[in-house]
Amino acid sequence: MGKAERAKSARDKIREQQAADRAREQRKKVVTYITAGAVAVAAVAAGMWYTMSRSQSEQAGAGLAPITVQPDGSVIMAKDGVTQPVVDIYEDFQCPACKELERVSGQTFKNLAAEGLAKVVYHPITIFPQDPTRANSVRAGSAARCVADGKQWMAFHDLLFENQPSESVEGFKTDELIEWGKEAGVTDPGFETCVTSQKHAQTQLDYSDKVNKQENLEGTPTVKIDGQMIDNSVIFTPKDLRDTVTGAAK
Amino acid sequence: MNASQASHNARWAIPWVTTVARLVLGGVLIAAGGLKIGNPADSVVAVKAYELLPESVATTAGYALPIVEVVVGVLLIVGLMTRVAAVVAALLMFAFVFGIAWAWAHGLRIDCGCFGGGGQLGAGQEPTYLLDILRDFGLVLLGGWIVRFPPGRFALDRPLGLAGAEHPMDDEENGDGQG
Repeated sequence: MGKAERAKSARDKIREQQAADRAREQRKKVVTYITAGAVAVAAVAAGMWYTMSRSQSEQAGAGLAPITVQPDGSVIMAKDGVTQPVVDIYEDFQCPACKELERVSGQTFKNLAAEGLAKVVYHPITIFPQDPTRANSVRAGSAARCVADGKQWMAFHDLLFENQPSESVEGFKTDELIEWGKEAGVTDPGFETCVTSQKHAQTQLDYSDKVNKQENLEGTPTVKIDGQMIDNSVIFTPKDLRDTVTGAAK
Repeated sequence: MNASQASHNARWAIPWVTTVARLVLGGVLIAAGGLKIGNPADSVVAVKAYELLPESVATTAGYALPIVEVVVGVLLIVGLMTRVAAVVAALLMFAFVFGIAWAWAHGLRIDCGCFGGGGQLGAGQEPTYLLDILRDFGLVLLGGWIVRFPPGRFALDRPLGLAGAEHPMDDEENGDGQG
């Protein structure tokens, strides 16, 4: 082997060594990247799992506690003899956050009443100052006042939230309301004219006004336990809501 | 001489600009996500209010949004996977710009009148759509800058060897030792 050849092979070796180093570095880089990426994705997944499990709604229990529609339009759901704690729910049929509250925690309120752990009182009010949301809310609220039977009222109430219209269009039209009333089991022959004429529209507005001032509401949904306003982070977390209500019973 | 001086200044300044952009964009994301994370219902209702996504998708997106914001914000601040994080952040901001423009064009008044009394807009009052769009678009541009010039100073990407080799001149740490 000549001198020149030896030098050449040494150069090759160094070059190979450098290529191997580069490849190793590249591999290390890929592994680091994948690890960091996996940690980030896992953090998002864990966070999602945590929030979603906390927002998990309760299963429907055995049935509903007796429901009575009061003369002022508020609705009491409680087992016989259960007078406290009182859970007041102030909600607007047109308010999206109220719809979300019903979706997440509606079943918890029903279960708590059915288990005799609370007296639940619904106050459907109108909070929107402008059309179309105001007119939508008034039509829905006054239609609910046309339902005298408690069980039918609750079914109607649930259907209204389920079918809540967009805030930008005219919705809760009277023929729709009559349709949902029938679906809720309303058989009262006066229901149709009561809804179409919006007989209770003014009552709905007066009641909203009165409740708003009296209870110092900041918006809907507002939930109070024995007159104490409960934080939104609690009422939108079924488990925390249940714990707070049962805690108030002691 | 002058030109080379200027380019030297630019080489010195660019990584610092990236760092500032990372801190601003990351800080905004963490603040926005952090405010929502304790009460995901807010975020679910907000996503639904835009009426852009089908209901079930909107619910999932509403739950995911605050978490993604916080995670991406943290990645940007520490400068880990800077380029990918910046791409996600810029896409998020762009989605917000699109969402707000959509709401504006469709005459949606994003004021559910729900949480807090402040949500209700008076008769003559207009939502601050333009301001929101300009702000979010500015953040998109910051994201773009970070994507173009990652990872900037004080980024974990450097010690981990994840920094790209686009600006070898900035890599004083790597020297020319093996050359």
